[in-house]
Amino acid sequence: MRKSNWLLLALVLVLSSFLAACSGGSNSSGGSGGGEGSGDSASGSANGDQVYNLTIGDEIPSMDSSLADDQYGIQWTSEIQEGLYRLAEDGSLAEGIATGDPEVSEDGLTWTFTLREDAEWENGDPVTANDFVYAWQRAINPDTGSEYGPYMMGGVIKNATAVNTGEAELDELGVKAVDDYTLEVQLEKPVPYFESLTTFPTFMPLNQKFVEEQGENYALEADNLLSNGPFKMTEWNHGSTMQFVKNDTYWDADTVQLEEINLQVVKDTATGVNLYDTGAVDRTSLTAEFVDQRINDEDYLPVPDMASWYLKLNQNRMGEETPLANENARKAVAQAIDKDGLVNVVLNNGSTVSNGLMPKDFVKGPDGKDFRETNGDLLTYDAEAAKEAWATAKEELGQDEITLEILTGDTDLSTQMVDYLKEQLETNLEGLTVDVMQVPFQQRLDLDTAGDFDIEVSGWGPDYIDPYTFMNLFVTDGENNRMAYSSEEYDSLVEQASTDNATNPEARWQNFLDAEKVLLEDAAIAPLYQAGYSYLQSPKLQGVFSNPAGNDFEYKWAYADNAAAEE
Amino acid sequence: MENRKKELDKNLFRPADRTEEQSDVMARKSTTLLQDAVRSLRKNVFFMISLVLLLIIVLMSIFAPVASDYTYKEQDLNRSLMGPRIPVLENISFLGLDGTQTKTFNGNNVQAAEMKAKMQFDNQEDFITFETVNEGDGSRNSAEVKATYDKYAAKGVEDEYFYFGTDRLGRDVWTRVWDGTRVSLLIAVAAALIDLVIGVAYGGIAAYYGGRVDNYMMRFLEVIIGIPNLVVVILMILILDPGIWAIIIALTITGWTSMARIVRGEVLKLKGHEFVLAARTLGAPNRKIIARHLVPNVMGLIIVNTMFSIPSAIFFEAFLSFIGLGLPSPAASLGTLINDGFKTLLTTPTLLVFPAVIISVLMIVFNILGDGLRDAFDPKMRK
Amino acid sequence: MARYIGQRVIYMIITLFLIATISFVLMKLLPGSPLANADKLTEAQQEVIFEKYGLNDPIPVQYVNYLGGLIQGDLGISFKYDNRGVSDILADRIGPSAQLGIQALIIGTVLGILLGLVSAIYHNGISDYLSTIVAVLGTSIPSFVFAGLLQYFVAVKWGILPVATWNGFEYSILPTIALAIFPMATCARFMRTEMIEVLNEDYITTARAKGLAGTAIIFKHGIRNALIPLVTILGPLAVGLLTGTLVIEQIFSVPGIGEQFVTSVTSNDFPIIMGTTMFFAVVFIVMILIIDILYGLIDPRIRLSGKD
Repeated sequence: MRKSNWLLLALVLVLSSFLAACSGGSNSSGGSGGGEGSGDSASGSANGDQVYNLTIGDEIPSMDSSLADDQYGIQWTSEIQEGLYRLAEDGSLAEGIATGDPEVSEDGLTWTFTLREDAEWENGDPVTANDFVYAWQRAINPDTGSEYGPYMMGGVIKNATAVNTGEAELDELGVKAVDDYTLEVQLEKPVPYFESLTTFPTFMPLNQKFVEEQGENYALEADNLLSNGPFKMTEWNHGSTMQFVKNDTYWDADTVQLEEINLQVVKDTATGVNLYDTGAVDRTSLTAEFVDQRINDEDYLPVPDMASWYLKLNQNRMGEETPLANENARKAVAQAIDKDGLVNVVLNNGSTVSNGLMPKDFVKGPDGKDFRETNGDLLTYDAEAAKEAWATAKEELGQDEITLEILTGDTDLSTQMVDYLKEQLETNLEGLTVDVMQVPFQQRLDLDTAGDFDIEVSGWGPDYIDPYTFMNLFVTDGENNRMAYSSEEYDSLVEQASTDNATNPEARWQNFLDAEKVLLEDAAIAPLYQAGYSYLQSPKLQGVFSNPAGNDFEYKWAYADNAAAEE
Repeated sequence: MENRKKELDKNLFRPADRTEEQSDVMARKSTTLLQDAVRSLRKNVFFMISLVLLLIIVLMSIFAPVASDYTYKEQDLNRSLMGPRIPVLENISFLGLDGTQTKTFNGNNVQAAEMKAKMQFDNQEDFITFETVNEGDGSRNSAEVKATYDKYAAKGVEDEYFYFGTDRLGRDVWTRVWDGTRVSLLIAVAAALIDLVIGVAYGGIAAYYGGRVDNYMMRFLEVIIGIPNLVVVILMILILDPGIWAIIIALTITGWTSMARIVRGEVLKLKGHEFVLAARTLGAPNRKIIARHLVPNVMGLIIVNTMFSIPSAIFFEAFLSFIGLGLPSPAASLGTLINDGFKTLLTTPTLLVFPAVIISVLMIVFNILGDGLRDAFDPKMRK
Repeated sequence: MARYIGQRVIYMIITLFLIATISFVLMKLLPGSPLANADKLTEAQQEVIFEKYGLNDPIPVQYVNYLGGLIQGDLGISFKYDNRGVSDILADRIGPSAQLGIQALIIGTVLGILLGLVSAIYHNGISDYLSTIVAVLGTSIPSFVFAGLLQYFVAVKWGILPVATWNGFEYSILPTIALAIFPMATCARFMRTEMIEVLNEDYITTARAKGLAGTAIIFKHGIRNALIPLVTILGPLAVGLLTGTLVIEQIFSVPGIGEQFVTSVTSNDFPIIMGTTMFFAVVFIVMILIIDILYGLIDPRIRLSGKD
């Protein structure tokens, strides 16, 4: 034991000196950033090499901002490109290519943005309004095959859906360059959260000349990318390592202190932890097993995710009423699961119990209070109440033995979770048999779309910061409803929020609060938990903001405090 | 020798009573191939040890889950991740089978290290015993404390014994491992038997009828053999509903080819032998020739080949589970248990160790049995 | 010989065509699409994206397009990695896989032959028993169990070599060893049997009777003749390596083809699954062909003809 520790120590020493040598070398070639950072006392104590070594769970599927549709693509396109605005600390908006607030017409349909004139592409071209028009048209163009284009723009920007399905020409899209530095956007309906949308990669500008020059190869390698953001991609060894360095041509380059970010693809948590322990990486994510071990470490960092997880309770399966059409049956299911056990033992990854639909710390109302704080716990674990409701339900249905099928994904986490859910439901609700149906993601979606399930483990992660993204999920016949839930009251509240009250923040907020209450009083869904991530993070990482939507982390304001790491 | 010969009196000898009928009688009782094989196997120590081991594993896999107080799917989060604890053996400390967890903690001083230990072990101070390894000098993490946590006592389950510990959901690993062993064996034996039936039928028919039938059947076989079985198995698993049968079908879809080839080759060889010709000349029907003359003679080969295909099926099942295409939960097989165990290798290695040891022993045992049988049935190979 | 090779090539093409068809049919039976966020899109929006991948065409048309692409070496475009060609992805990843495979094959066969020789020469001695035990363990214990043991002890406990990932030669050592165990054990067992048989041949007895030194017999007559049949097991060995790379690359986070294949299988990225299937099939079939031809060339006793 003793001996092996010595060996390990020796290895750590060798490795760390080796790493120091490495990063030192690249720093000298990167410029005088380190000195600059330490001189700037206001932004904290950046010292030593301004380098982050991070892990990434998988190869980046796409660095094309029009096509990026997963966490890694969204994360890193957001670092090399910049849209009208950028997410800053606590999900607030900071100026990006746009300066000041947009001018909004009285009907809320015309938005005019003024762009800064000192923003440049890496190749020296200025970033103009035309770059935005080109990028937005590209994202909605059916030939591009973007998923977020039609999703984010459809129903928001004028004619977006028509253009996407080929019923309108590209130039009919409601966006135009009034002059090089003025961008005018026509909306289909008032969208109070439109500014927050523009931080998303789909809305980031593209240099038309460069993209067309690259043709099919655009964004396939580090060389085929053009940056206008705080960083640029310099290396991309597919499936293995990636490197981002500071972009000196960025308009706000003075703010950026970090010189270099290195990514290592690590799919296995154990490997990540080992790399972290040897100092090869500065942050790694943890799974349940490792949280047990590391939860008391100083380096342990839980980060809440804004994804809300719940059970969809289907009331009508392929034209036939399920036992869950009975409100008491739904209430029984929703209250029969010990969610504390679920998040603390089964998931144990930083997730927290959820007793509503809206996640905690996602949106604040005009009164400055968090949505969850105002609405409180709406549907909690209560085994006694569940048993009672279940007895009533069985009586009302005239059935003593009920079988329900639960649909879920086939990942390890889903497996553990569904094992637990089955056991909980069967133990607490007498006469209930739960059949588990585990299928790959795509198949689950097909079954979901067809409404072919009794209960589905489902989650929703927001792409922009507004309650609407959650609250419109369960309107009658909505794309994500698929569980035959229909409530006139709920529908009208959501409708009001996006029409009559769209420009009245207080009334709109109240609409959303009420809508959630209606949804959970009906026990339309059974809330389970709010997802979370757990990391081991070196104290060296400072000024890294985690975002409620879009890119998970923002590195523009980040710096390395190497002294803190050595303490 | 020479001297002795001289001493013998010729009168002691008399001509043997040889009549026409008796000339065919054997002096010693003739042994069948089977008896011969059994006799040689009895002398093979490794074979016998393996046979006993296999028997034990099979019996355990059938009876251990039944006799256990727990079921393979019964959960209790209160007893999540308990260490292995076995009666009697728990008293032999170095085996680590007493259900306690021991870990070393570092801190600036002894108190700080002990504090860390408490936080790690559910704050159950009363059930933690400390042993100071290094007093430390106050500098960063200089003190080292070895803490032993009696989780069984802390959770109030002193009278329970989880022989192999429990997993995250508090399921008894002992029950799950033996249950998984049974499932793995079942899959492997079923796959091997199906291979046997299809392979023998295909190879037998091709060889027996010969000519054009044989030619076409063999061309088809060659194409099938050309397909990498790994790929086909994975593709099949993808389209079938996950479960035991899906894995069996996926394994058999290409598995029968080697059996077919071997049987065909052997039957072709035997067909030319005089005793078959004789039987045919005497007017024996096809059915009888196959049953009486061909089958018994290729039996040894078939048994040996089946014996080798069982471990390869066990391996493939585990392999599929390992890349995430195994049995759906909560059912367990050795493969799924190993796959789960791998994720906790650094935190709770016991979850991997037990199924990994059993699968390794099973594979070794089957391979030794196969070797032994091959040597026994093939006298040429005998030492 | 030429006729034999010609015939084999024809079979090869038939086999590949069959594999292509089977994998195409199987993939069409499965749900799977290029959409990463299908839950967020309306059906009309989904159709637009399917159009880009040619998934709205009738299935026979898709089949013809697919076969046409295959002939030109175009394996299609990945569902997950937008706009990246499957051939490019495979090309990116072949390096690590090839390096691992070749290293493991060389180390495995060389060590295996040595072990087998030792066994045969000291037949029934202590070293024979030891190397037989090594061989039995090597063929029996699954490679992923070995890999786990190596990773746990060598990398984690003792910290001698990197745990995983792929950043230089030292990173390839552990996966190579884990991968080499199986060929080593197989070679050792095979070599032992062959060598014992060869040493009992009449010409060895003759050589011995002529008074040749023991080593001379073993090296001049024994090994050469025992090595020839070894070519026959190279095929199964290569297949074993192929299976091995899938799990070994996974365990050691090696960015190779096997790791990509497993990832794609779990994420239903069908163009990559089909492309990799075809790639594996071609490698496998060509390898078997080369081995058979080689064998025919070295061993004049084998008269190659159209029949077995």
